[in-house]
Amino acid sequence: MMPAFTSAYPNVGVTINMSGTQLQARFMLSLVAGVGAPDVSQLQLQEVPRYSCTGRLADLTLVAAKYRDAFPENVWKDCMYEGRIYAIPWDIGPCAVFYKRDLFEQYGVDVTAIQTWDDYIAAGERILEASGGKTKMLFYPTGFQEILFEMLLRQSGGQVFDENGRIAVNSPESLAVLNVLRRFVKTGISANTQYWSQPFFASFNTESVATYPMAVWFGGFIRDYAPAKSGAWGVFPLPALTPGGLRTSSYGGSALVIPAQCAQKDAAWAFIEFALCRRDSQLGHYRSFDLFPAMTTVYDDPFFDERVEYFGGQQVRRLFTADVERIPAMNRTKDWVETVSYLRQSLGHWSSDDMENPEDFLRALETRLARRLDREVSPRSLSLKAKAHGESVN
Amino acid sequence: MAAHRHFYLFISPYFILFAVLGLYPLIFSFVLSFARWDGLTELRWVGFSNFVNLFGDEVLLDAIWNTVVLGLMYVPPMLAGAFFLAILLNASWLRCRAWVRAAVFLPVITPMVVVAVVFGLLYDFEHGILNYGLQRLGLPAIPWLLSEHWSKPSLALVLIWRWTGYNMVLMLAGLQSISKEFYEAAVLDGAGPFQRMRHVTLPLMRPVFVFCTIMSLIGTVYLFDEIFVLTAGGPGTSSMNIGLYLFNLSFSDFRFGYASTLAYVTAFIVFLASLFVLRFQSREGD
Repeated sequence: MMPAFTSAYPNVGVTINMSGTQLQARFMLSLVAGVGAPDVSQLQLQEVPRYSCTGRLADLTLVAAKYRDAFPENVWKDCMYEGRIYAIPWDIGPCAVFYKRDLFEQYGVDVTAIQTWDDYIAAGERILEASGGKTKMLFYPTGFQEILFEMLLRQSGGQVFDENGRIAVNSPESLAVLNVLRRFVKTGISANTQYWSQPFFASFNTESVATYPMAVWFGGFIRDYAPAKSGAWGVFPLPALTPGGLRTSSYGGSALVIPAQCAQKDAAWAFIEFALCRRDSQLGHYRSFDLFPAMTTVYDDPFFDERVEYFGGQQVRRLFTADVERIPAMNRTKDWVETVSYLRQSLGHWSSDDMENPEDFLRALETRLARRLDREVSPRSLSLKAKAHGESVN
Repeated sequence: MAAHRHFYLFISPYFILFAVLGLYPLIFSFVLSFARWDGLTELRWVGFSNFVNLFGDEVLLDAIWNTVVLGLMYVPPMLAGAFFLAILLNASWLRCRAWVRAAVFLPVITPMVVVAVVFGLLYDFEHGILNYGLQRLGLPAIPWLLSEHWSKPSLALVLIWRWTGYNMVLMLAGLQSISKEFYEAAVLDGAGPFQRMRHVTLPLMRPVFVFCTIMSLIGTVYLFDEIFVLTAGGPGTSSMNIGLYLFNLSFSDFRFGYASTLAYVTAFIVFLASLFVLRFQSREGD
């Protein structure tokens, strides 16, 4: 893309810096200092809210207006603060289940029959039994629990915060998600290996784990670590929480922002517009770097219908485009990163425990989040409803 | 003197660097401990409320508890092991002394990334070699780093492996600084090897023991890389110590004010604890 940009804008010099550690901390420091930030910066979608509320990012509302329809509303949500746009979506992470086709065939499990998470767990039990306990259905270790929780909560339309930033995690949606997670462990279909560890990557080549519910970008890791397994992998849509429910979710993705301190905002915007708001660029990022386009208007490209040999000739790209527009938006607030660490701690504690009483777990989590983040509890919370109900009965 | 003032110029680089990189952060973080600041938005003065919040902080409570438990788990066996190895290396009959010394010291200088990969493989629940061994013996597999009950013992093992060599070197230096005359005198008085250990070596090694204990104590409080790479404080908060909690508060949660408060309070407590150990030792010595 860079040669195309420089020929279109010969008077704009671009240096791309992808090196270095602690990009977050360095970006934050330069925002505080008011100098030193790059003119354009990439942020993870879920981390945009922590910066957009500070007033240190350039307001892109006016220039981005004409691209409003090219990206789904639920993605814009992460890029906006109080109705203003501060970031332009780059890629998104629609979710599905990566599975080992050969294992499913070997144990006679039909993927098309997996419609809901109940079906998924039943299939997991079948595989566990048929393999004599050798093949588990999925990994559910600490460090992945909060990812799966977020993925399923978003799929179900549940929230951690309501639209006013109050704690709304104690909800029927969370309860349904926890009941699924809990059965992953109780039925014995989940394996316990640290995510992103060597044994985890090694499992792509072995029979130890059959499926990986994850975002689209995960496919790249599989291909990198298991190049010899071409054709032995497949993808099926995320199982629904209820029959007929949404069969996708979103996890990850990124956006580009311009710091308010940037001295040449026009040039920075020209770069972002060229890189992200053009059909060719978005498709190019997908073709070359496997970054799934946030721009939904490019999904009609034939590239999405090509069969991918690695995944057994499946049209996996098309599969991931399904219902992207219908994925519910998350209310993240500026405290999202901190919130995820509490989710990780609480879920980890719950799994080390016996995973009983998800209701108690949610009440404790709600209290903890309210206190740590200094936020009110949403009036929709189950605990407040229970209290109101108790009072009306008395 | 006045004529030679220019020599201040030659010692000034250290003081300038210290003022910029040491003194200024020290003072700024003290100031921050009375504020609420995420680094990006306006700083808000909150008086002593950060200090008050420390008392209701359940993660901090866990972190203190974990620090104490972890310290008790690894410091005594580590120091005992270091002392034993130091005596062994000090023995005149030992061959290949340099090799043994290097082997024991190697973990100290091994990069943490390597340690993390190796112990990650050893400790893996599904395919780790430790669990493989346990299962071959008919014992159940242990979720080493993935259970709240096992995360601290697993870390303690890594810490013993990693830091025994460091303490061994300190103790070896201590042993070698004990004058031969004491032992000769003891032998003349008819003391056996056990009595020489009890009445000569141990009392004269006391300052070294105290030094190692204080260093390990401080080391446990501010321990960071081992925990960060192996468990990141989890599962739950079962292996979160004060050092990691401080890091998370500041560089993940951006709660710089509160983190500064905790850092100052921790430094003060460590200071008191070190003072206590020193006093304790000098009284015993009298």
